[in-house]
Amino acid sequence: MTPAEMIRVEGVSKTFTLHNQGGARLPVFRDVTFSVRAGEALVLAGPSGTGKSSLLRILYGNYLPNAGSIAIRHGGEVIDIASAPPRAVLEVRRRTMGFVSQFLRVIPRVTALDIVRDPVLARGGSEAEATEKAQAILARLNLPERLWNLAPATFSGGEQQRVNIARSFVSPSPILLIDEPTASLDAANRAVVVDLINEARARGTAIVGIFHDEDVRDRVATRALDITAFKAAA
Amino acid sequence: MTLAVNPAQLGADPAPILSAGDVSRFYGERIGCAGVSFDLWPGEVLGIVGESGSGKSTLLRCLAGIDRPDQGEVRFAGRAGGMLDIFSVSEQERRAMMRTEWGIVHQNPRDGLRMHVSAGGNVGERLMDRGDRHYGRIRAAAADWLARVEIDPGRIDDRPVQFSGGMQQRLQIARVLVSGPRLVFMDEPTGGLDVSVQARLLDLVRVLVRDLGLAAIIVTHDLAVARLLTDRLMVMKAGRVVEQGLTDQVLDDPQHPYTQLLTSAILSA
Repeated sequence: MTPAEMIRVEGVSKTFTLHNQGGARLPVFRDVTFSVRAGEALVLAGPSGTGKSSLLRILYGNYLPNAGSIAIRHGGEVIDIASAPPRAVLEVRRRTMGFVSQFLRVIPRVTALDIVRDPVLARGGSEAEATEKAQAILARLNLPERLWNLAPATFSGGEQQRVNIARSFVSPSPILLIDEPTASLDAANRAVVVDLINEARARGTAIVGIFHDEDVRDRVATRALDITAFKAAA
Repeated sequence: MTLAVNPAQLGADPAPILSAGDVSRFYGERIGCAGVSFDLWPGEVLGIVGESGSGKSTLLRCLAGIDRPDQGEVRFAGRAGGMLDIFSVSEQERRAMMRTEWGIVHQNPRDGLRMHVSAGGNVGERLMDRGDRHYGRIRAAAADWLARVEIDPGRIDDRPVQFSGGMQQRLQIARVLVSGPRLVFMDEPTGGLDVSVQARLLDLVRVLVRDLGLAAIIVTHDLAVARLLTDRLMVMKAGRVVEQGLTDQVLDDPQHPYTQLLTSAILSA
C-alpha cells in the first residue's frame, strides 16, 4: 500500500451458497481489485443486483468474501478485514471506518442527541464538545429541536435517516462507506448531505459509495468503478 | 488527517481474560458439549446461540466453574497475572473466585437471589463475603446499586418476593455486579420477561457492560438479543460449535447450513 492509500481491495470474490435451498450457488463477482486514497470518493456503478451493496458490506466486514483481501489503513497499521479477528474489525469500525446506510438501528431508550454525540465521545471528545457538535449537525439537517431529546423509535423514516447521517458525519471517520444515504430525503436535505460528504472528503476522508440519484452521484464522485466488469459466471 | 489512533491498541491486548481449550462434558453416552475452544478478551462480549438442547447451558456451566468438564480446561486470568486452570484449584478457592472474579446471572432470578432476604441484604451480602464489615458503607453501596439498576432505593428493605419479574432480574444483576467482577456470565437473561420489560433490561445490560468495561458471555436463543448485546457469536448445534465470528457477520452472512436455518427462521434480528 502506498502511504496515501486508505483501502486496497485485491482479488475479492463472493458467491452465496444457500444450503437450505438445495445448495444453490449465487455467484456475485470475482477478482475485484481497486484502491481508494485519502480525499477520494469512489462511486460503485452498475445496475441493481450486480453486487454493489454486497461489496460495500464486505469492505465493512459484514459479509465474508470467499477469496481476496481488504487492506485498511488503521492509524499506523494495515489490517486485512477479510482475515482479522472480530475485536480487530470492531476496533477498525470504532476508529477508522464508518458505514452510512439508509437505516438507523434503533436502540431502546437512547435519545437522538445521544446517538449523535456517541461517535465524538468514542473518539475521546469532551461531553461539551460532543453536545455542541451534535446539536450543530442536527440543526443543519433540519431535524426539529423538539425531537432531539426523544428516542427515534417513533420518528418518521426520513427523520431516522437524518439522525443516522448526523451520527455518521458528526466526526467523520478516515474511511466512510455510504449506501444510498439520500433515498427518502427532500431536495433541501439532499443538498445538505452532498455538502457533508464533500466536506468530509476535503478533510481527507476516503469514501466508497452507492448513489442511485444521478445528480447526487455527479456532485460527489471523484471516480467511478463499474462492478459489472467483475461479474462472475453463473 | 487529525484522528489519533494508538497503533499499539490492537496488538497491546495483554492476554485473554478467559481461555477455553477443548472443553467437553458428557452425560453418559450423550454429548453435552464437545471440543469447545476459544479465547475471550477483556471488554469483549461473546454470545452463545443455538436451540434448546444444543449444549449452550452445559458449556456455560463449565466455563463458569459450576460443573467440571470431563475433558479440556478453562483458564482464567488471575489478578496477579498468568492464567489459572479454574478446575486445578480447591473447591473452596473456586467458589471464592466465582463470587469475586466473575459473576453469574441466572435465567430464573430465584436461582441467583435469596428470596426471603431484603433487596439491600441480597446486594450487601456480596460485599460482606468480600470482607466489608462497615454496615453504613454496605447499605450505601447497596442503595447506590439499586439505583443503578433502576430500582427505587426506597425499596431497599423489601424482599424480592415482593418484586416483579423484571425487578427481580435487575436486582440479581446488582447482586452480581456489586463485587466488581471482570467477567459476567448470563444465561438467557431476558428469558422469562415480557417484551416491554426485556427492552429496558437489555438497554440496562448494554450500558452497564460498556461503562464498566466488562467481559461477558451471554447464552441466548434470541438472535435479536445477541445482535444488540454481543460483539461476537458462537453458534452451537448438538454440543459443538458449528460457526463463530463477528456477530453481525454471522447473522447477516451465515456460512453454515444450521446458522442459515436459524437466521432464516426468524422475522428480523
